[in-house]
Amino acid sequence: MHELTLAHYLVVSALLFVIGLIGFITRRNLIIMFLCTELMFQSAGLALIAFGRYHLNFTGQTFVIFILTVAAAEAAMGLALIVLLFRRKESLSAEEWSELKG
Amino acid sequence: MGHVINPAIFFALWVLGGLGVCLALPRKKASPQVFGALIAGLAGGLLLIAMGFVARDHLPNVYFYIFSLVGLGSALRVITHPRPVYAALYFIMTVLASAGLFLILSAEFMAFALIIVYAGAILITYLFVIMLASQAPEEGETEALASYDTQAREPIAATVVGFLLLAVLTTMMFRGTQQLPVPQAVAPNALLAEMPRKVENVLRNHRLLKDGGTFALSTTDPATITINNPGETAVVLTQDQWPEELAVKNIESLGFNLLRDHPGSIEIAGVILLMAMLGAVVLSRKQVQIDEDAKQDQVRRIAQDSLGGVDPGAGRPPLESSTAGARA
Repeated sequence: MHELTLAHYLVVSALLFVIGLIGFITRRNLIIMFLCTELMFQSAGLALIAFGRYHLNFTGQTFVIFILTVAAAEAAMGLALIVLLFRRKESLSAEEWSELKG
Repeated sequence: MGHVINPAIFFALWVLGGLGVCLALPRKKASPQVFGALIAGLAGGLLLIAMGFVARDHLPNVYFYIFSLVGLGSALRVITHPRPVYAALYFIMTVLASAGLFLILSAEFMAFALIIVYAGAILITYLFVIMLASQAPEEGETEALASYDTQAREPIAATVVGFLLLAVLTTMMFRGTQQLPVPQAVAPNALLAEMPRKVENVLRNHRLLKDGGTFALSTTDPATITINNPGETAVVLTQDQWPEELAVKNIESLGFNLLRDHPGSIEIAGVILLMAMLGAVVLSRKQVQIDEDAKQDQVRRIAQDSLGGVDPGAGRPPLESSTAGARA
């Protein structure tokens, strides 16, 4: 009888996801907002691996490899865009772009 | 419907945790951030104790609690720290704690891939961009934090929404896991039949298989290896007599799953990475415009020096063109 149930890992994953969600909504620094999306990626990966272990199926781990790939590509593109945005306004605040004009 | 833990306890803990997180977020005036973090830590600790009560019959696996506490604590610090560099460093600690959790779940390759790719590549890129996109402080002034870093916007609404989602998620989780079907046992050595060269190498290294000998692997229960060496009688090795290296490792199973069951996804992942590379090159091409202006300024300065201080005038074509020689 396994003492750590699947639910333990799912609760940790849900907590990580919600912390990332709160950080994304609350912070105004563009880079920190991106970092919080990476936190949400982490939690999804943890849930996938927990389920993969529970069902004794390796598809969970395979999918986390692809999540890592997509997260890397997205981080590269997103950060390049942030650098370009910073050059326009000399500020990393998300509220500078609230009017999307000029 | 049977709950694993009474959901009322969870809701009370989420309310306490939400209060703590809300207090911990950065504010304009002096805010009780440390106090808030302590409340959130208390809620987290009580949560882990409550979950530990589920495993009353066995000693709780202490590594799970350590890794999850460290991971959640540093995740909280990521979203509440006003300086971006510290937030990225705390995120690296979250990645390490997450890798520890993966290790407990017997996903060794994924744990190390996470550390190498996430902490070692993606977050270093983040740190580079944070350094690039920061404003240099004036002479003699200490670096000031921008207002968009020190104030959280709408912390109460965000925390309420977030912890409401968490309450719903955990309730559904605990209701659902009672009804998940028990997984069927998988033949642990089924993959060994696909790796004959590995079996041969291990048997040769352990001097069980001599030159010219053959072996036959049978993976049906009970799994046996029959070795026929020339000049000797056939030896039958049951599973407890196998060398330890013969066990199928995590990375081998993962490799088979990746290449055999998901070949199309590998191609698509390659295309995504190619698109990211091309996109980065295209985005960074915008620098050409800035360099052109700087080049014109530099050319004009050189022309000014060579003509003995006379300003050749703005808008003059570069010296390399033929009209410049005619005008000079």
